[in-house]
Amino acid sequence: MTRTITVDHLARVEGHGGITVQLDGDEITLVRFDIFEGSRLIETLVRGRRFEDVAGIVSRICSICSASHALTSLRATENAFGIQVSPQTELLRELMHCGEYIESHALHLFLLATPDYLNYPSAIAMGADRPELLKLGLRLKKLGNSIQETIGGRAIHPVNAVPGGFAALPSVDQWIALRRDLQQGVADVETALETLSAVPPLTEFCRADMAFAAMRDGQIVVRSNGTEETIAPADYRSLTNEREVPFSNAKHSLYRGRPFTVGALARVTLNPAGLSDNGVRAMQQLGLSVPSDNPFDTFKAQAVELASSVECASVAVQRVLADEALKQEPRVTIRPRSGVGTAVTEAPRGLLVHSYTYDADGCITSADMITPTAMNAASIESHFRSIVMAGAGDGTDVLTKKLEMLARAYDPCISCSVHLVQTRNAV
Amino acid sequence: MSKPTVGIFGLTGCAGDQLVILDCEDQLLDVLAAVDLRDFVMASSDNDGTCDLDLALVEGAVVTKKDELALRRIRARARTLVALGTCAVWGGIAAASGAAALRELVKVDLNITGCPIEKEQFLSALCHLLNGNPPVAPDYPVCTECKMRENNCLFLEKGEICCGPLTAAGCDARCPQIGVPCVGCRGPASDANLASARAVFSENGVSLEAVSRKLSTFVRAGARP
Repeated sequence: MTRTITVDHLARVEGHGGITVQLDGDEITLVRFDIFEGSRLIETLVRGRRFEDVAGIVSRICSICSASHALTSLRATENAFGIQVSPQTELLRELMHCGEYIESHALHLFLLATPDYLNYPSAIAMGADRPELLKLGLRLKKLGNSIQETIGGRAIHPVNAVPGGFAALPSVDQWIALRRDLQQGVADVETALETLSAVPPLTEFCRADMAFAAMRDGQIVVRSNGTEETIAPADYRSLTNEREVPFSNAKHSLYRGRPFTVGALARVTLNPAGLSDNGVRAMQQLGLSVPSDNPFDTFKAQAVELASSVECASVAVQRVLADEALKQEPRVTIRPRSGVGTAVTEAPRGLLVHSYTYDADGCITSADMITPTAMNAASIESHFRSIVMAGAGDGTDVLTKKLEMLARAYDPCISCSVHLVQTRNAV
Repeated sequence: MSKPTVGIFGLTGCAGDQLVILDCEDQLLDVLAAVDLRDFVMASSDNDGTCDLDLALVEGAVVTKKDELALRRIRARARTLVALGTCAVWGGIAAASGAAALRELVKVDLNITGCPIEKEQFLSALCHLLNGNPPVAPDYPVCTECKMRENNCLFLEKGEICCGPLTAAGCDARCPQIGVPCVGCRGPASDANLASARAVFSENGVSLEAVSRKLSTFVRAGARP
């Protein structure tokens, strides 16, 4: 008997994705994480564009990760031209990045994922019964947005971060407002951790040995079958080995023929030193031990990073207000030169690669961008397969719900995942 | 009186305009209390995909057949259809590679532009619509807002190519305010003074075409308000 499970439009994720599974008796004949999002050919769009326009274009790949796209793009461009930015710029960029983590993780934890674990169809329905929980999530989300607005000039698609630094600096009043918001944020995180650690135990239906990849000390670290390898950012292709797949507008990545996972769970596994004290405490409080073989632990890992990011942002803002008042720095002079610039960073959902080739006039001749969701796609499919194998006896409704929860646990950002390839879905 | 039924949809894009709605953290609960939100796949897994809608908010551009089909279905269900954001209003970032704006395919009752839309403008338009009043949006360009904020002109004083004279206002000159020239992310202003812009640009050695090229990042060449 053949059976098909189809999810046409996966809910509570960013973008248009679906799931297709086909079974012939107990045999799985097809497992697909479908990506229907239209290709916007962003890599082609930036060809011929001057360096100062690039970050503003590529941030439009995705709204939730727009700051990461902009910052990664700026780094790739600066690497191509051999530009070193000032410590002050590094501090502000770091802070903007923290804001993005806070917004993105709060959005996923409270508005998109938690309803799964508390059995609501949406945060809106959840908010009718538990308004304090929704309000807490919205407050943390707003904190992340306030940081991004203050530093980046806009919460989505930042405008203030430019090649070489920042166009304008926040005023003292803005810093004081941020410090106040962050004080509330530190208290909110405590409540959030108490609440999230009381969320019913996470699903156990999908345990499997996973390979992980994350940044550590400026290098890509990949851990697979118990061994670790370090890859220089410029050699990112030896990690991603992208290939086109016939059913998706996103390419798939395989490391040594094996799917790997990037994102919060990979980061806390491979780079626990990146967490603040509150992050480490949150890990204990939530009972997260690594390496984990449960992709649903991403939920806990995001909560840990939320705690860590709020603390890091708070410390950074206090530093700014204490003794290291920011000064208006002269704009870095940018002298374009031909060459390649690559940057690999940690976006909220995992490793993000931007690699550009520039001509001598500072115009892009080719661009390659690989997003976390594109890297995770193969891993999501392999988890689909284990869920179906373990749950072949489940009714279609139960199995569908499990598959949807797994996809959401990865916090996929589908706009992000769409690459250059045109396939039959895009016709 | 029953609450108006509302659907929020995304076609091809970055989901930034739907995210702006979710980013109205201080107003979201009030907005949700004022409407009967029936269909919002980005935020809910319990959606009515066929009911009639008093108001459909649609972001993104039409890139795939699936987008087109979805848009036509939404139009058939909706009393009022609002295009949200530059992709829906102008084709947006993918216009150069063939993305279409919503009004190229269906009747659009209101366009709210921006990349992303501005929160205040969205909330104001929504209040007007829910109260049965026609929403108001500026027809003048960003340049006017920039002057009202008494900024020094980036073009005349620093020689930077700024799309402010041609771009729809509503962002309160967000970029020129911090010294960044306007890139035209909101699309063309309906009441821009083209003749004057051409003259001022050419007096300073910049062709209107160079500015148009910059504007075409977000709008298909030749598109008019």
